[in-house]
Amino acid sequence: MMKSNQPKLLSGKPAASGIGIGRAAILLTGSKSVMPEKIGKQQTGDQINKFETARKNILRDYEHIKQLPDNSDASDIIETQIQTLQDPEVESLIRKKIKDERYTAEYAIFSVFNDYIQMMEATKVNWVNERVVDIVSVRDELIEATRERRKKLNIEKGEVVFAKEIPPTVMVTLSHIGIGGIVIEKGGLTSHVVILSQSLGIPCVINAHWDRYKLQNGMPVIIDGTTGQVLINPTWKQSQEYEKRKNDEELRYQKTREWTAKKNETSCGHTFSLRANVEFAEELANLKPNGAKGIGLLRTETVLFEIEDFNVDDQVAFYSNMLKATGEENVTIRLFDAGGDKVIDQSEAESNPFLGWRGIRMLLDKKKLLRNQLEAIYKVSGKFKGRIKILVPMVSQVEEVLELNEHCRYVEKMLEKNDVPYDENIQLGVMVEVPSVALTLDAFADYVDFFSIGTNDLTQYTLAVDRGNEKISALFDSFHPSVWKLIKMTYDAAKRHDLPVTVCGEMASYPEAAACLMGIGIDDLSMNAGSIPMVKAVLCQNTLDDMKELAKSVLSTNSLSEVHSHLNSWRTP
Amino acid sequence: MVSAKVKVLNESGLHARPSSELVKTASKFKSEFFIKMYGYRVNGKSILGVMTLAAECGAEMELILEGPDEDEALKTLVELFKNKFNADE
Repeated sequence: MMKSNQPKLLSGKPAASGIGIGRAAILLTGSKSVMPEKIGKQQTGDQINKFETARKNILRDYEHIKQLPDNSDASDIIETQIQTLQDPEVESLIRKKIKDERYTAEYAIFSVFNDYIQMMEATKVNWVNERVVDIVSVRDELIEATRERRKKLNIEKGEVVFAKEIPPTVMVTLSHIGIGGIVIEKGGLTSHVVILSQSLGIPCVINAHWDRYKLQNGMPVIIDGTTGQVLINPTWKQSQEYEKRKNDEELRYQKTREWTAKKNETSCGHTFSLRANVEFAEELANLKPNGAKGIGLLRTETVLFEIEDFNVDDQVAFYSNMLKATGEENVTIRLFDAGGDKVIDQSEAESNPFLGWRGIRMLLDKKKLLRNQLEAIYKVSGKFKGRIKILVPMVSQVEEVLELNEHCRYVEKMLEKNDVPYDENIQLGVMVEVPSVALTLDAFADYVDFFSIGTNDLTQYTLAVDRGNEKISALFDSFHPSVWKLIKMTYDAAKRHDLPVTVCGEMASYPEAAACLMGIGIDDLSMNAGSIPMVKAVLCQNTLDDMKELAKSVLSTNSLSEVHSHLNSWRTP
Repeated sequence: MVSAKVKVLNESGLHARPSSELVKTASKFKSEFFIKMYGYRVNGKSILGVMTLAAECGAEMELILEGPDEDEALKTLVELFKNKFNADE
């Protein structure tokens, strides 16, 4: 076995703060990268069996497909797939790789197939190259099938999880296990993994190309979610140092937690509200300990994706759960915000999804889905009167709100006919995330009850920077002067109509930015629950006048670096 | 051991379907089957091996068989090349 316990350092992008110390656990869900893992002599039999079982199972599936009628074109390909699975050379090479070289079945399959794939590609003969895709698919099916047992996440408490990317459902499972940290190769700062990590206080580093290193399960690792550094096989000295820093951070966090019990008011006595952004039921347990005042943004995409046909009863159960868990506080439910990076079905993929058919644009076309969601929300509102608000995503013109209002009336009538109680004063607000709304806010004033600024998308649409695109991620900065000016415009216009404005973007989770928003006049902020204590500590220890001063300097400049330096001067030491 | 030289007559070469046909036919026999072409030697019962030959129309190769039914196998396989692998092209 190769000697690879040398200390190594790799850098990624910090995504959720905190220090994670533990053993590495590699998560291979959905990833096609296969590690050259070695096994002991006594395991070779087991690995060969795994390979043979996988091979037989897939062969059986293919034989079954072959017998289906009316498949003449495909049957040629299937015949080749079957022959590939039965290929005596391939089989004996894989067995040899496991038995003599002691690689895992997965890697043996991967490497033997790749040799053939390379040879096929090297022929430069068209029909051979065209077959490569079929061979790759047999390879991946075999690997997936040998992993079958692994699908039951083989991860233990305290381990640091390394993955290419983590699907939301897996992320929920991981959060139950109580992992020590997460390192992913892909991901953006607004992905599910990151949002959930922040909310649950799991240190997280993204865009870290850990797969280029010879990382193995069980290797000791340290990750720093504040700087983005990942240490593999740290030295004794590094371990000591990080243990100390981890303890210090915990102490500091405990200190900010002391503010949790205190009133939500600035040192001069001005009150404010800090609410939580929530997506999963798993997050509810974190609201109270962090001092969240209800839910300022309930995302409904993930749960609706899991509910078949967007069925009303299942939605009622989900929303009721959220209201029960938040005592007497409000819950703002954002309507299904799919599209963009979260498509319902691949056939609906667009070439420019962030400027495409998403949010309210899609809902108005998918009336059944929209009415089901409204019906569920209205039904729940009857049981929790005065506590539910509806938030409409991706609005860009007032006509959309008018059309939505008609659907609300329709649902109300239907419920009245069936004698189902609902909250007649349910509040409706629009997200300010497209600059056109901020620029023509007066037009909306007669039809809505509140505005909520989504800073992530407002930044994306103002700066024309796709927030998921790694190549231009440096250009994505919510603190850009243009974004601050739009926030100020929104607040001023709403104030003229006596309508409240909240901020529910991640911008509010930076204490210095929260102070600046307070200075502008916005004192109702929603963020991931884990950030609330830090934000609260800063807001409680300063006066509103100081925050107004900060807002004034931030709004007076057109330079991004000046905005940063004003905000930095507020950063807690 | 018996052997024979053959030529690929199919216009588009020994592409996916003929390759598949060749492997399928060869696998019915007990004898070992190797193909030699431009100094390469592949197992004729291995679809991936046959495909990596990327034999085009006119390519010449040597079929080598060894085993209890080698004569019958060779005869059948040579016939297959002549018939353009029962292709309807």
